[in-house]
Formats: sequence, structure tokens, C-alpha cells
Amino acid sequence: MILRIFVFYPCWFLMLNCWCASLTNSYRSEPITQIPAEISSLQLSITHMMHNQPLILKTVEYRNPSGESFTITRFRYFLSNFSLETAAGKMITLPAAYFLVDEANDTTKLIKLNSVPTGTYKSIRFLIGVDSIRNVSGAQSGALAAETGMFWTWNSGYIMAKMEGFAPAVASPTHEFLFHVGGYKTSDNVLKYVSLSFPQPVVVSRDKQPQINILADAGKWFAPDTISFKNVAVIMAPGVNARKVAANYQEMFTVKNIAN
Amino acid sequence: MKHKAIYIAGAFCLLLMLVHAQTKKSRRGGGPEPFILQLPPGFPKPVYDFSNNRLTKQGIALGRFMFYDFRLSRDSTVSCGFCHQQFAAFGHFDHPLAHGVGGQQGTRSVPVLFNMIWQKAFMWDGGVNNLEIQPLTPLTDHNEMAVDLKELLQKMQRDPKYRSMFKAAFGSEAITSERMFKAITQFVATMISANSKYDSVMRKAPGVIFSEEEQAGYTIFQQKCAACHKEPLFTDLSYRSNGLPYLPALNDVGRMKITNSTADYLHFKVPSLRNILKSSPYMHDGRYFDIYQVFDFYDHGVQVTPGTDPLVRNGIPLSAVEKRQLYIFLNTLTDYTLIKSTALSEVLIN
Repeated sequence: MILRIFVFYPCWFLMLNCWCASLTNSYRSEPITQIPAEISSLQLSITHMMHNQPLILKTVEYRNPSGESFTITRFRYFLSNFSLETAAGKMITLPAAYFLVDEANDTTKLIKLNSVPTGTYKSIRFLIGVDSIRNVSGAQSGALAAETGMFWTWNSGYIMAKMEGFAPAVASPTHEFLFHVGGYKTSDNVLKYVSLSFPQPVVVSRDKQPQINILADAGKWFAPDTISFKNVAVIMAPGVNARKVAANYQEMFTVKNIAN
Repeated sequence: MKHKAIYIAGAFCLLLMLVHAQTKKSRRGGGPEPFILQLPPGFPKPVYDFSNNRLTKQGIALGRFMFYDFRLSRDSTVSCGFCHQQFAAFGHFDHPLAHGVGGQQGTRSVPVLFNMIWQKAFMWDGGVNNLEIQPLTPLTDHNEMAVDLKELLQKMQRDPKYRSMFKAAFGSEAITSERMFKAITQFVATMISANSKYDSVMRKAPGVIFSEEEQAGYTIFQQKCAACHKEPLFTDLSYRSNGLPYLPALNDVGRMKITNSTADYLHFKVPSLRNILKSSPYMHDGRYFDIYQVFDFYDHGVQVTPGTDPLVRNGIPLSAVEKRQLYIFLNTLTDYTLIKSTALSEVLIN
């Protein structure tokens, strides 16, 4: 008798369990009623300029507003935290994505923004640099991986933008200038949001992934707050000069046109 | 009788089902096996956020292997463990200043490695803001391992042993800096020092008490040292100028370099006193080889500058008897569990 009870009770328990499980399963298999917004994408194509001419690394000599001649060997920066403004004026924040745009690498100048809800947009907003949270969150991957050389090792934080080159006005024996612009803490913050209005409404639909052609003028780094190589040749830490350059370069982007 | 047999068979089947369900649960996935880190009682909540880097046996094993792999340096001579020696509480025995590949020398002493998951920032000046990216500094510094990270990752990707270890730890053979740093962090996270005689006394372990001199030293410590070297970590994790005379040859301005603030001139992180007698030499530049030199410095060597901490401005007077008692107390902070742990010891790289 005791044995019978011992076996029957667990059996009942098991049967009940199975029954409940099948019930909850049948609930789960019901279709999701919420219809997701349609998702498409758009592209940003960035062309680097020096004043009115396309930027050419190493071989072409340029002149800054102080009249100093220079060549550029490296030009790269992070873009992140994209959002779009709908025709109705509503801001749509796109999923977190980080891009390292590098003049030396053409594929990086084409940015594909995924997960864009279909609709009509009138402007775009993004951050030049990497938001403060990612600066303190440890090891990262992709564009943010440490081996890209855009992360300071001795004073943690991303180099948001980098311009390197040579200028006779630099007093050092190599005449090299190094502008490594970074700093995410309150007092050193160089993070700049850029808002660009589109010249015409941009329509994103399932079969329409428009391309926005953007110009980025490296010449803007030197003005309006004058940066001359005689006074500033090396920026390799957060601080006053980094903030000055960032305040200048936040004006470097313009929308050239829309390729619908 | 016949019924009884059926019931017995039924009971046996049920038992089998239950056992099967249990083993299935524990073996699910076949990926890396979780590792439960035993946190010492009485310690605060760790600062390091494990949520994006769950400890696994395979992750820790990979981290340990990399920690002792001298091939991670430019000329394959220097590993992490080269400077961070277990018998010296993962500091560098007998070396005032860190040195690395090609006879290069840095300007600071090798900091000890233990209880890192409770640190808010790293290096003597707190310049590194997350435990995960700490390895980046010694790996790439030209005075230390001097490696190009991109080249190193390619080199490791070519190594079948690393490919299999990364697969075991992270599910695929891809070797990325993120995985590399996370695995090293996993290993370093297991370096916990909380089992010294002092800890046994505090936990009231049966039969463990301070000797008379240890107790006297503990009282002196509490009166004269504990404000900065706060229990149970034996550091309050702050940055202070302790009045150590500035050395022009090294020209080390301390935390001012990180904050750009003159208020942080000559400020350095308060080091832990745990395992202190195993981790000579002392101070950020390793200028004192003997703990009695440190006592003497606090007794009559403090050089007051505008940034010198108020707690040491008048020095910390210590009599000969007090120094001896303090020394005897500091001995109780040596943690042989850490120093002799076979889970942390060097692994053979070939």
C-alpha cells in the first residue's frame, strides 16, 4: 500500500505538470498581435574636403588661416548616436552604432544606418566622437576595439578625432603635428552633436534607401578659434586645445545633396 | 504480488527520469562552464561589473595562459607575470622601477595585483578607468611589453592553441582584443587576498588570535594608518600626496597628469597594505626597500608642499617600540593562500 502511494503521487504530479506545460505552450504559440513598424535603411556618403577641393593625403600642400603651409597624413574620427527628425518634427533615435571614418579607407566613408523606420525625414543628428558611457565601459569591439589606435592607454578614453601631418611652422625636428582630440569628462568634454537639415525631404521606404551625400571640410579645424602650428603642434591629451579644435570642427559637416 | 512488481518497476522508472532531467540541466549547451567566485565575507560589493563578462573556467584558464605568455611582448621576453610575481603578491620583487623589453625602464614601481575587482581606477594615478582595459597599457607601452596590438592579435590568431582556447572560452576561434582583455580580467578577478592571519582573527576563526605584539601593532595601525589604509581593503582608494619628496630625475607629477588640476600635484593612489611585507620595494617609485624606511619617512621625512595631505603634514610619530609592533602586525596581513595558490601560479608556455 505504501509503495502504491509512493508511486502514484509523483505520477499525478508529473501528469499535472505536463498538462500545465501544454496549456502555457499553447498560449505562447499564439501570434503576436503588435505589428512592427516597417524598417528600412539609409546611407551616408562622406567626402572629405579641404576648403573647396577634395582632401588628398600626403601629397598636396594646404594653407591654414594663419598662412602656414602643411600636408595631412592622417584624418579620422568617430561618428555615433544617430537620430533622425521626421517631417512632423519627431526625433527618432536609431539603435546604437559606432563608425570610425578614415580618409585612408574608402569603405569607412560609406555609413549604412540600419533599422530606420520608413517615413519622411527632414534632418539628421549625430555625435562626433564616442559617448561618455562607452569611454568607461571596458573592452569594446568593432570600430571601438582598442587596436584601432583611437584609445588612450595612459588616461582612458577615446580619441574622438585625429588629424596628423607635417608643417614647416612646427618647431620640432620632424615638423610633425599631431592633433589627437579627446576628453569625455565634464571639464574636458569635446563631444559635439551635429544637426544637419536636408535640402529636401528624405523619404525612406521599403524599396527606397536614399543616400545622403555629406561633405566634411578638414579646413574648419583651424578656425574660427585660430589654431596655428606655431602655437599648437601637439595635442595628445584632453584639455583646452582639444576643446578649441573640437569647437571648430563641429562646423565641418554640410549636406551636399540627397540621392533618392 | 504481481502488482507490487509493477509498482517497483514504476518507481525505478521515475527515479531514472528524475536523474536524467538533472544531468540534462547541468550539461545544457556544452559551452564554457560557469565559475562561481567566492567573495570574502565583510568585503564591500565589487566595483567591477561582471554582467558583461561572466566568469567561466575556460575564460579564466585562457586569461591565466595569456598572463604568463611572454610571447605577448614585442620580443617574446616579457609576460605580465614577469613583473607581477605571485610570490611578491603579484608585485615585482626587488625592483624599484618597472622594466620591460629591450632594457627599457619606466618611472614607477610595479603595483601589486590582488582585490582588483574592488578598485575604482587603475595605475598609481588612476588614469585607467576600467579593469578590462588595464592590460592595454602594459601591452603597448614602449617601456613594458611594447607590442602593436593589431599585430599581436594576428600573431595569436595564427596559433592553433590560442584558437582552441578562445573557442573553449568564447564559443568561436575569433581572437579579438575585447575577448583577450575580458579573459585576462577574468583571471585577475580571481586574485583575491582575504585569507591572512588578520582575516582569520577578524572572522573569529577558532583558535586564531593576535599575539600581544600583533594586537599592539593593530592598535597603532588603527590610530595612525587606518584613515587612509582603510580596512578591509587596507586602502580607501583615494589619491593623496603623502609628503614624499619630489624626485627631479623622474619628474612624476602624479594624478595631475590625469586631471589637469594642480590640486592633484604629487597625488598618488593609496596602496593596500595587504601582503605589504612580501611586496617591497615601497612607494610609487619604489624608493624604499625596507618597511622600516617607510616608518622613518612618516616619522620624520615628510616634506610639506601645498598639496600635502593634512593627515601627514606633521608626520606620523612612531617610537622604536611602535615601529616593531607595527611591523609585527603588518606580518599578519601576508596572505599565503594568495601567494601559494596553485590556481594562480605560472603555467608552462611552450
